[in-house]
Amino acid sequence: MKTVAYSILLLGLTTSPLMAEELTVMTAGDQNMVDYINDYLGPLFEKENPGVKVRAVGTGPGDAGSQKILERFDAQAGANVATWDTDVAVVHEKFVGPMVEKHYLEKYRDKIESGKLVTRENAKMALGTNVDGYVMPMFNSQTALAYNPALVPTPPKSYDELVAWAKQNPKQFGYNGIKGGASGVSFVMGWIYAFAGDGDKLQNGPFDAAEAEKWGPAFAKLKDFTTNATLTPGNAGTLDLLSRGEIAIGPVWVDMFYSWKATGKLPPDMKLVLPSPGMPGQPMHYTIPEKAAHKELAEKFVNLATSPEVQAKGIVERFNWYPGIDAQHVQAKLDKATWDKLFTDIGPADLAKNGKAFPIAPYNKAILEAYERQVGN
Amino acid sequence: MPIPLLGLLLVMPALVIVLLLFIVPLVSSITGAFSVDGRFGFANFQKAFELYSSDIVFTIVIVSLSALLIALLSIAIGGYLTLGSNPRAVAILRWLYRWPLFVPFIVVGQILRTFLAKNGLMNSMLMQLGILTPMQTTSFLDWRGIVIAFVWKQTPFVTLLLAGAMASLDRSMIESARNLGASRLRILIEIILPQVLPTLLVGLILSFVTMMSVLSVPLMINAQSPTMLTASMAFRINAYGDYGVANALGVISLLTTSLVAWVYLRQTMREHR
Repeated sequence: MKTVAYSILLLGLTTSPLMAEELTVMTAGDQNMVDYINDYLGPLFEKENPGVKVRAVGTGPGDAGSQKILERFDAQAGANVATWDTDVAVVHEKFVGPMVEKHYLEKYRDKIESGKLVTRENAKMALGTNVDGYVMPMFNSQTALAYNPALVPTPPKSYDELVAWAKQNPKQFGYNGIKGGASGVSFVMGWIYAFAGDGDKLQNGPFDAAEAEKWGPAFAKLKDFTTNATLTPGNAGTLDLLSRGEIAIGPVWVDMFYSWKATGKLPPDMKLVLPSPGMPGQPMHYTIPEKAAHKELAEKFVNLATSPEVQAKGIVERFNWYPGIDAQHVQAKLDKATWDKLFTDIGPADLAKNGKAFPIAPYNKAILEAYERQVGN
Repeated sequence: MPIPLLGLLLVMPALVIVLLLFIVPLVSSITGAFSVDGRFGFANFQKAFELYSSDIVFTIVIVSLSALLIALLSIAIGGYLTLGSNPRAVAILRWLYRWPLFVPFIVVGQILRTFLAKNGLMNSMLMQLGILTPMQTTSFLDWRGIVIAFVWKQTPFVTLLLAGAMASLDRSMIESARNLGASRLRILIEIILPQVLPTLLVGLILSFVTMMSVLSVPLMINAQSPTMLTASMAFRINAYGDYGVANALGVISLLTTSLVAWVYLRQTMREHR
């Protein structure tokens, strides 16, 4: 059955015309990821490499988009295709582990110049899998609580304070559960870090199935908490409700928050707070398949994308993401005001202390499933 | 070449396409539901019930409730189109009721998301009219939102079928009932409805199956728990890469729709006898 399915897929893949110097970049994530490549990075690269055409393919928002890229690789590996149809793939952290373990990716970081500008831990380990050398972080993203200062003059600084606050202000806290996007997932992971103990073990492993038994009381508490919360439709839904004053506080992606503010979709007085013991964030990674058709060009592309100039102008200034390469290299390329904007509400010290990673992949799954079992159903 | 062979050759392309693009994926998704680590088993179904039993119930209740409301509304609209005495009102209604047919589900979800929110258009209008105070407003973005979206989108479809069937009825019976002094409501319920019941049933069944398969509306309006099975299936695949349980949920949804499809088939068989 699998072979049949793969050969059908293969037929579809191979019948699309391939031009000589066309660099295909697959990217998971919202439309802004595709825009970033089409409007900014692609033209820049084409200018530096005459005759090359960059083709960006968006595979859809959230984990679903990365899952599609992984399945595409699975299909091409299963069918033993000699050269794959993807030159550069931009995927979520959760999916680079499996890709490295299945030997789909090229170990390219030492080959490019900007490779040595990355020392952060999450460029070496991705949710418990060693991916050192296979990935270059495009940017780092972080979740935090966005709040309306008019309704919440003193924002809760920790999960404990949030619980107490939500009790006094029923339905004023809103989050999107776990099926409507990663900001809700992130809130739940932070909840487990806060109320079920061993955050370090969850983030670094090793995986121990017995750990799940410790989560029971925390989920019971979350179920109780959720009855007092407003459930929002999606990451954008939380921001939507916040902007209309229907909720006073809720978990959001920091970059989305700033973008919405910049475009006027969110009132300018909204603020962010990163509660202790912390909420997760994650990088998106540039990867190059082992069997990419234009490997050298792909390396050049990633080198450009992770150069301090592009990280400064593209990632930080245009999209309000935290840089993928180490911050000091990027900071030098930007004026102080632009740089400080990233840290208006959440200072670098808070970010270092309370900016966590997502749990390693098996815990990640176990926590989501436990949520479905104990809070959802 | 002998004629039967030629005929077979002619249908081959169509047959191959149906086989490859429909039958094969369907069978593989059904067998996938029963495959646990490469062997036959029911673990996927067990997990589906453990995690999503409330979603299954929720889905069936929501879709059935929507179907019921669609039935009532389409009878009312169809009845007025057939029996209405004000030709201008009938013309306006006839022109108006089909509009939602041309709006895709995802757009319905998007429209209703801003319309039904706590501070959305609907509540602001009610507040402007002085019917509600700001404190009394509530958000309809939960199960009610899904029902409203389904009813809004599917009523015109059923009405279209139903009004057609009503229009093709023999008018003489309606006229004679009217001459004998029957009220319009009585004519609708006792004379028209029994004759168009098979059409109504067919329309409702097709709507039922359509509503079972909509992903965009629950995702846009209420992707919380409980939610529709489609949202849970998408989540199962996107968050866990777990096709087993997603397939099991698919089979459960398929069984539900098969049940109503069986009613449909029995109905058409009876008509053709």
